[in-house]
Amino acid sequence: MYTIESAGLSDTGKIRKDNEDTLLVDDDMGLYVVADGMGGHRAGEVASQLVVNSIRDYIQSCYKDKAAAPSGLADHTLSPAANLILKGIILSNEVVHEAAKNNDDYHGMGSTVAVLYINDGTLVAANVGDSPIFLIHKGQIDTLSVMHTVVAEHKAANPEGADQIGAEYNHVLTRAMGTETTVEANICEVPFFIDDRLVISSDGLTDLVSPAEILATVIGHPPKIACQNLVKMANDRGGTDNITVIALQVIKSGNRQTKLTNLLSRLSRILRQSLALKKDNGRRRGL
Amino acid sequence: MEDEEGYRMPILTLKFKKNKIADFPMQKGRSITIGRRSNNDIVIENLAVSGHHAKIDAIGDGFVLTDLQSKNGCFVNEQLVTSHWLKHGDVVNIGKHTLVFAYNDGESRPEEAGGQADQTIVMDTNLYRDMVNKNNTPTPASPAEKSQVIGVLSYLAGGEGEVTLTKKLTKIGKDAASDIVVSGIGVGQTAATISIRPNGFYLSHVGGFFKARVNNEAIKDSILLKEFDVIELGSTKLQFFTKD
Repeated sequence: MYTIESAGLSDTGKIRKDNEDTLLVDDDMGLYVVADGMGGHRAGEVASQLVVNSIRDYIQSCYKDKAAAPSGLADHTLSPAANLILKGIILSNEVVHEAAKNNDDYHGMGSTVAVLYINDGTLVAANVGDSPIFLIHKGQIDTLSVMHTVVAEHKAANPEGADQIGAEYNHVLTRAMGTETTVEANICEVPFFIDDRLVISSDGLTDLVSPAEILATVIGHPPKIACQNLVKMANDRGGTDNITVIALQVIKSGNRQTKLTNLLSRLSRILRQSLALKKDNGRRRGL
Repeated sequence: MEDEEGYRMPILTLKFKKNKIADFPMQKGRSITIGRRSNNDIVIENLAVSGHHAKIDAIGDGFVLTDLQSKNGCFVNEQLVTSHWLKHGDVVNIGKHTLVFAYNDGESRPEEAGGQADQTIVMDTNLYRDMVNKNNTPTPASPAEKSQVIGVLSYLAGGEGEVTLTKKLTKIGKDAASDIVVSGIGVGQTAATISIRPNGFYLSHVGGFFKARVNNEAIKDSILLKEFDVIELGSTKLQFFTKD
């Protein structure tokens, strides 16, 4: 069995006036979300909060009432847990899109989203936009998210030609939450193991801190300290954007010793029983 | 020129040598195509100009000029460009024609260069598609990209034919509900899974006395599958490969 130790931290950074990132850490549901909003006049903040709240509310309603879970439109290549997250993202996109359409102040707002859902021994990772999700397993860091940016998609299509794209495209997304009526999220499902670590962040971290540095930081520290160190690192290097980090660590629950004691007591009970049986037999034979 | 939100928009002035031919006001959220064919927004009837030569997209508060792989290219301020954020006073040369991009005095302008770059924006899908299409060598690098790469398991023993890995998480085990049912003593109900991750296909151990073996090595946790890896579990033997 496992438990998840978690921590999350969001910081405005050194340049921006507002923090347009929103995060959610909910150990009870096993739901962890980072959203990075965009759009002027605080609309980005509104968008990222709408994304996080609507996903949380949807998962919560399904969590309490299993009947509310998606059935009809489910993608059969995905598990029920993954379908739940996908549906949550689709609904959330509609919520943000509607809000943007119906309120002049919010016109054109949008957000990224990166979700981790840990349920029943598997882990669902889903994302839209450029907020990354990392899985750290046995000293290696790997991304579970797919970056929906012009640069990343260009690189995927043509690894050699990636340099042709100028730095001005660094923050140009190809998808976001709320900017169109529908959205397609990247999703993956993976098993996880004791001592694995997971990191979700906004690009305010990854623009300034490399995956190798994230790896070194989370391996050396418990989640809470890792988050503080990562945010500090990004701020020390200029803090050009809002910085949000969630760090998780999979920990073995119910320590080894109790398990071993249980096993030993069971074994000795069996031994005692069989010995008693032998004695009994011997006694009978002796009679 | 004002759009519905009250922002003032720049103007493109088409010139041939020193003579002004026409003014084209730009609009927020609207693309403009430039070329020789009549279905362009700005038609330049000159053989030095390609049928569909270039386009200008409105992205956020700014405008981006993209060359559509034209024969003679696009020049901005005498520099050859493939894509370029237009600034006030930029002079675009297409063939022998000139387009001048300018805001009127006192118009609100987007912050130039640096200001534009650190703001996250969402790209117009058409512009993006054009950019990707310009790359003629689509080597699918990751299965997640529109899943061009499909993982396949081919039975070497314990079954016949192939299994295509369509699910994000494929379950292998004794349980009849598994995607790949494997019999044998000590094989877990769900013994192993294969998940599709952005950078490839991962086989992971889940449970059971005997662990799945990849190329004769028992997998305790997770491994990235390589082309033609052999997976063994119970009486079943499968070979992994990918196809486009």
